[in-house]
Amino acid sequence: MKATALLLAGVVAAFTVSSFAKPVIGQPAPAFSATDSNGKTQTLAAYKGRIVVLEWNNPLCPFVGKHYGSGNMQKQQAEAAAAGVVWLTINSGAFGKQGHLDAAAANAYVGKVQGKETAYLLDADGMLGHAYDAKTTPQMVVIDKDGVLRYIGGIDSIASTDVDDIPKATQYVRQALAELAAGKPVSVPTSEPYGCSVKYGP
Amino acid sequence: MNDPIATARPTAHRQVRAGPLRHLLFAVFVALAPCVNAAVSGADNHLQVELVSARLALVPGQTAQLGLRLRHDAHWHTYWINPGDSGLPTTLAWTLPPGFHAQDIAWPLPQRFTVGGLYNFGYDGEVVLPVPLDVPADVQPGTTAHLAVLAKWLVCREECIPGKAELTLDLPITTAPAQPDPRWTHQFTDAERAQPQASAWTGTARLAGERIEIALRGPGLPEADRLDAFVAQRKLFDNKPPAIRRDGDALLIDAGRSEYFSIAPALRDLDLVLTAPTATGMRGWRVRVRLVTPIATPAQP
Repeated sequence: MKATALLLAGVVAAFTVSSFAKPVIGQPAPAFSATDSNGKTQTLAAYKGRIVVLEWNNPLCPFVGKHYGSGNMQKQQAEAAAAGVVWLTINSGAFGKQGHLDAAAANAYVGKVQGKETAYLLDADGMLGHAYDAKTTPQMVVIDKDGVLRYIGGIDSIASTDVDDIPKATQYVRQALAELAAGKPVSVPTSEPYGCSVKYGP
Repeated sequence: MNDPIATARPTAHRQVRAGPLRHLLFAVFVALAPCVNAAVSGADNHLQVELVSARLALVPGQTAQLGLRLRHDAHWHTYWINPGDSGLPTTLAWTLPPGFHAQDIAWPLPQRFTVGGLYNFGYDGEVVLPVPLDVPADVQPGTTAHLAVLAKWLVCREECIPGKAELTLDLPITTAPAQPDPRWTHQFTDAERAQPQASAWTGTARLAGERIEIALRGPGLPEADRLDAFVAQRKLFDNKPPAIRRDGDALLIDAGRSEYFSIAPALRDLDLVLTAPTATGMRGWRVRVRLVTPIATPAQP
């Protein structure tokens, strides 16, 4: 089985190259500390005992525009807030890249779209984005009360920029939050996120 | 801050859904140049789209070759059926006369684009996405077929702009051999060359931890040098360039498994496309391989 041996060698080599841990469903979510648009430090550890939703945002991405223009995202943020869920919107766009916001611009954006998130995190160095391997905007993560990763993927099931698709789509985050609240396992723990690429710095 | 959706203006061409100014400009354009079948510039959209036909007429009972001609501004791209880490494939929704049937897009070989450490698959420059059109046998010669399609796309550089256009094409029905449309001969020849060729190879894809390992065997396997491999289905590969090597008569492809991979133990076919650059452009092949779990019996000794 020379072929197998070669393939195994390839696997070992690949593991060595990408050695940093990936977020894994059912495992503790990566810890983080980031500054929000009000200058406050936000850590995952501070929210132990509460369900936490992470949402990657780029205000100029048309896929983000689909879910904010329609009010879908704000509605889910408000539902989450009413259920005691922490919702952290994250901007991992590097300085100079499309959609990057400083604190003032972030607060203006949240005001304009009437966002209902707990906080808007500024992650211009991409540390938080890379820790969760966030690839697109929007991209969503749900972390349970014990800090365990329960969902990672898209906001819903229809990859498009059409607002008309929202009512037809399964809203995966809403579904995961309802299941967690009912003490059930999350039925769809991963989906492929769709959207614009996160505009990381070099 | 401007609403990003508001930037989703369609590229105007023929019957295009656009604002009143566009209609006016278009009308003026048509009036000035009634015989010229060129697209109105879509510079602000970074993409020009056009519905074209390889031949000047349709023949009853035959399959005609239509195409969506895409012309991208420099540095902008649109997407393959599997767009990669982000993006969206171009979609077509047809409105056709009774009995006509448009097949799926015959996707040309994709290119790999790297943006900020993420990988996308698609097209830049000029490309035609071919669509075979089945013409019913009972359609009346001497009549005209009105073909309409709603094309939707996402065009990206680093930032992205969604677009859509309603395109139409009127083609006469004839029983005589349909002549090639000289305007698009070159484009359709290129599109044909850019199709993945069917191969007689066999292979199996195996899940191995966070990797998907594929071994191909059969006549005419290419050298591993400069090969790239893509899979049409999403949520299988992690989209990074796979490691590809020859081992005797086998070609081994070692790809990272998508972190969103969630297929239960069920078997599944995987549509693999291999590409290799040549002096005369990209060349490529397609092969369907069965995805098996590690506990399955190896298919080959």
